[in-house]
Amino acid sequence: MTQNPAATPLLACRGVEKRFGPVIANKDINLEVFPGEILAILGENGAGKSTLMSIIAGRYRPDAGSIEINGKASLFVSPAKALSLGVGMVYQRFMLMDTLTVAENILLAADACGRSVSLRAIKKEINLLANRYGLEIDADRQAGSLSMGERQRAEILKLLVQSARLLIFDEPTAVLAPPDVERFFQVVSRLKEDGCGIIFITHKLEEVLKIADRIAILRKGRIITQTTLDRVSSKRDLARLMVGREVVLRVDKPTIATKDTVLEVCGLTGPKGSMQPAFTDISFNVCRGEILSIIGVAGNGQASLCKTINAQTTGQNGTIQFLGNSFDAATWATRRQSEIAYVPEDRHHAGSVAGMDLAENFLLTRLEQSGNSFWLQHARMESDIQTAVQEYSIVTHSSRTLAGQLSGGNLQKLILARELAKNPALFIAEQPTQGLDISATEEVWQAILAQRQFSAVLLFTGDLKEALSLSDRIAVMFSGRIIEIINAGDADSVGRIGLLMAGAGG
Amino acid sequence: MRLRLEKRYTKPQNEQLLIAVISFGLALLVGSIIFLIYGANPFLAYGVMFQGAFGSSLGFTEVIVKAIPLMLTGLAVAIAATMLLWNIGCEGQFVFGALGATWAALYLTPDWPSYSVLPALIICGAAAGMLWALIPAILKAHFQVSEILTTLLLNYVAIIIMDHLYFGPWRDPDGMGFPGSALFPDAAALPRFFDSRIHLGLFLAIAATIVLHILLRHSKWGFRIRVIGKGPMAAQYAGMKVNREIIRVMLISGALAGLAGMSEVAGIHLRLQEGLSVGYGYDGIIVACLAGFRPKMVPIFALVLGGLIIGGEQLQSSMHLPASIVQVLEGALLLGFLASEALLRFRLRIITSSSPSPSTNNA
Repeated sequence: MTQNPAATPLLACRGVEKRFGPVIANKDINLEVFPGEILAILGENGAGKSTLMSIIAGRYRPDAGSIEINGKASLFVSPAKALSLGVGMVYQRFMLMDTLTVAENILLAADACGRSVSLRAIKKEINLLANRYGLEIDADRQAGSLSMGERQRAEILKLLVQSARLLIFDEPTAVLAPPDVERFFQVVSRLKEDGCGIIFITHKLEEVLKIADRIAILRKGRIITQTTLDRVSSKRDLARLMVGREVVLRVDKPTIATKDTVLEVCGLTGPKGSMQPAFTDISFNVCRGEILSIIGVAGNGQASLCKTINAQTTGQNGTIQFLGNSFDAATWATRRQSEIAYVPEDRHHAGSVAGMDLAENFLLTRLEQSGNSFWLQHARMESDIQTAVQEYSIVTHSSRTLAGQLSGGNLQKLILARELAKNPALFIAEQPTQGLDISATEEVWQAILAQRQFSAVLLFTGDLKEALSLSDRIAVMFSGRIIEIINAGDADSVGRIGLLMAGAGG
Repeated sequence: MRLRLEKRYTKPQNEQLLIAVISFGLALLVGSIIFLIYGANPFLAYGVMFQGAFGSSLGFTEVIVKAIPLMLTGLAVAIAATMLLWNIGCEGQFVFGALGATWAALYLTPDWPSYSVLPALIICGAAAGMLWALIPAILKAHFQVSEILTTLLLNYVAIIIMDHLYFGPWRDPDGMGFPGSALFPDAAALPRFFDSRIHLGLFLAIAATIVLHILLRHSKWGFRIRVIGKGPMAAQYAGMKVNREIIRVMLISGALAGLAGMSEVAGIHLRLQEGLSVGYGYDGIIVACLAGFRPKMVPIFALVLGGLIIGGEQLQSSMHLPASIVQVLEGALLLGFLASEALLRFRLRIITSSSPSPSTNNA
């Protein structure tokens, strides 16, 4: 710890709260950052990290609570106002005008903060700061032609030119190549030496251990743990703090014998892109009667793998065997298998149509199965949804209710009911209980477990508790590879999962 | 106590009604200001407009005559907008529909038996409209070119082609040099009804309204179109073939606008000539917006807009005010529509000092 306990914090949040309609994004946030300190913010997707950072950077206004800068209460009405008080943020998606040069971009930001300076003066400042912090960049280049690392440096310079003292980074290394990551760390430590405060959001535990002084973990909009790094002895500690206690909820899970292999993936690699593929050389199989979980900390390639298996993106180099037929990666992407049912992660936009009613949503992916008629069978749609509402105890007024008016848990049950109604050979669920309360979670779990009887189940999850509660086998992904596939009955190996997720199992 | 604008998180009830009320309120207000500038009494002016459009059977039948092309172009815009395609090109497709009908009337069917002439006109008009819509459809589906730009720009191309035809190759040899095609033969004129200029197009438009309404609500195809419009990500997840539907819907949209052009040339003008393209395609956008893109509401707002146009003509003849005030009113209607969409995302709250924190109140 570098700070003097008596020092005034650069930033202090006191009881900050933010709601979007009925959704609580942040509540009771108390957080301090001192000069020369690096604070890492950890948390699952949707935990409220980005919202909190946007509040601090002036993009959102808090509904309650106050923010103090250097001990003075401040109300930010805009990012420019925040920046003129020394608080700046580098967003995950860089915010540069592609058609302007680096210097012009920085001038634009200075202008927005109410400073009128000449382009020449700005360039001088840029060079000065660039030398001091190791942010080499050609100020006359067009932003559109910059690499990701250079863009990030330009963004940092944009803040430094405005004399930012508190810099916020939203997953700063997610889009960087390894050498740029190293450089970024050097820049950050120089900023720290100069007495700047740094907040960064990350999913990568090794980065936290490498540069952070202090850690705050968010869950469901609240800070559940704040600790200093010296109290965290290992990645494993950190993993446990982040994914929660490794307690398995008692789920009634009868053992059933596995039957035929439904899906066998062999040597599959992710789609070609500008960067390296999101996943490499993935092999696994899943049989009728078992649940295979694919688990990993967000950003390790699971989401991309799930897309490829659902034929939404085209992988390369591998083969996929499905119900005895063999496909190469390219052909697989062109076939839509009616024997696969899929519950997507984004239940509000992909899994359902908010502006259409429940009966219509229940038909969304079942049009092919609903017969050859040109017309919609309203009576049958109605009876189908009524059955589903009863079977899955979906709480709703009527089948004419719009899907957007359902609570998250009820919506998820509707999607689950629809997908299971297809009686699939392979059932894929992606983060099926993310953001759900405990009772909805248990209902979803029961439904997935019951489906084992009829299907092979592939569960993509970031929630260790979920994986342990449901799975027969658990495949741990890290950095685009399956590190190990662990039998859920093997108590010794299960203990290592947190470690493997953090990339320390090797 | 103070007033405060708050974001809404749920849609207000009667949303469509509120939108229509706000749009018309704004348009009437803007119109009043203009009337005042001209030194006219706004109440009197609106009275004259209303009287002119709905006060006599002659006026009302003319309103219906105007509403025919407006219904068809309104439907054309609405069906495309249902899947988030913006067909600004109804004007061009309208012109092509008129070209198709003219070609059929003057060059294809002169020797055909008379019962087959009108079907040929209708088919050629719709097909020509489709043809003109096919270009933006392909560009959109296969090259992701914005249909807003292509449809709009092709309007001008279509109008130039039409000008070329009636100034050039299709000019009436007996027309004493006036630009315009020859008069349609009798067999190629749409039958008229009720002792007025109301023509067969009315029944085509009504039939199109009913068919589209039924298709959208009750067919699987309509279901797909609505899913693609309301949940693009969900449509992709459900494996719907979006590109194929883009082409289909643009073709239907073009056919409807083409029918409008056909019915206008074969029902009213009976020759291809200047003054055919007076903006029915653009007015269709206003009709469709006010109707909330629901086909069954299109005829109502087509009548309203038709009334506005006829009322405007009355302004000119009895109050000597420029009829182009109507165009200002139309513009104000559309702006009012856009403004009400934005306004309805907020609600006005009266805050007293004892009010609880706004965040606890999400009604």
